[in-house]
Amino acid sequence: WLYLREERAQRRRARRRAELRALALGQGDFALLDQEGRRRSKADFRGQWGLLYFGFTHCPDICPEELGKLSRAVALLEREPGLPPVQPLFITVDPERDDVAALGRYVRDFHPRLLGLTGSPEEVRAAGSAYRVYASTGPKDEDGDYLVDHTVLIYLLGPDGLFLDYYGRSKTDVQIAQSVRRHMESYEPLLD
Amino acid sequence: VAKMSAPTMEERKACWGARDEFWQCMDRHGDDASKCEKLRLSFESRCPQQWVKHFDKRRDFLKYKRKLETEGYHPPEATGKS
Repeated sequence: WLYLREERAQRRRARRRAELRALALGQGDFALLDQEGRRRSKADFRGQWGLLYFGFTHCPDICPEELGKLSRAVALLEREPGLPPVQPLFITVDPERDDVAALGRYVRDFHPRLLGLTGSPEEVRAAGSAYRVYASTGPKDEDGDYLVDHTVLIYLLGPDGLFLDYYGRSKTDVQIAQSVRRHMESYEPLLD
Repeated sequence: VAKMSAPTMEERKACWGARDEFWQCMDRHGDDASKCEKLRLSFESRCPQQWVKHFDKRRDFLKYKRKLETEGYHPPEATGKS
């Protein structure tokens, strides 16, 4: 019975790979600024694994929770000898307010290697659409404050920059780390 | 136009704490807001207005979800069972 279960799991993973290859999400370059004001493009991360979250610094609860979880998953993976490093990444969906200085203030509460990225509205929109991220700015109140409704997912990026997996709110830090490890062990580039 | 800074981690935690105290009071008093006025004011003072609205909606949603889970669908009573 265990053999059958493993076979089913393998078929599931193969189906998922085929879907991901068809989607090939994350193609195209991005040109963004990190929290130190340095220009970063996708090429800078080629060859590295990444865990990426889209959010905004004025987010009431979900973004800090997901970034906390992402940070803990990266820390768990760091403790395992022999695994390549994972780059934690945060891209804003609120470029109007989340400038370089705002990113700097925000990311320091999370993993020390967390890289925050921002840019012009066009650059940010291009990065979001490469990963099919939904983002919608809500109505402004009298203080000019607003929330941004957005896809809440942590994306696993393979060394080729393409999206290999995603983790929703219900996945724990431990589950994410386990999944990333499995992907690392069985990694083959999605596109030839 | 000056941009308002986003709340820091300390400010976020203070807001969440005030929210939780208010919600616990509401839980204890069957959602009678008049019994929790002081905690409501504390919640509103520690959180941006947008967040207060967001958390109010979250509470309504959680209540609705709980209602579905507890009252929701009653399976038809099986006949012949005591």
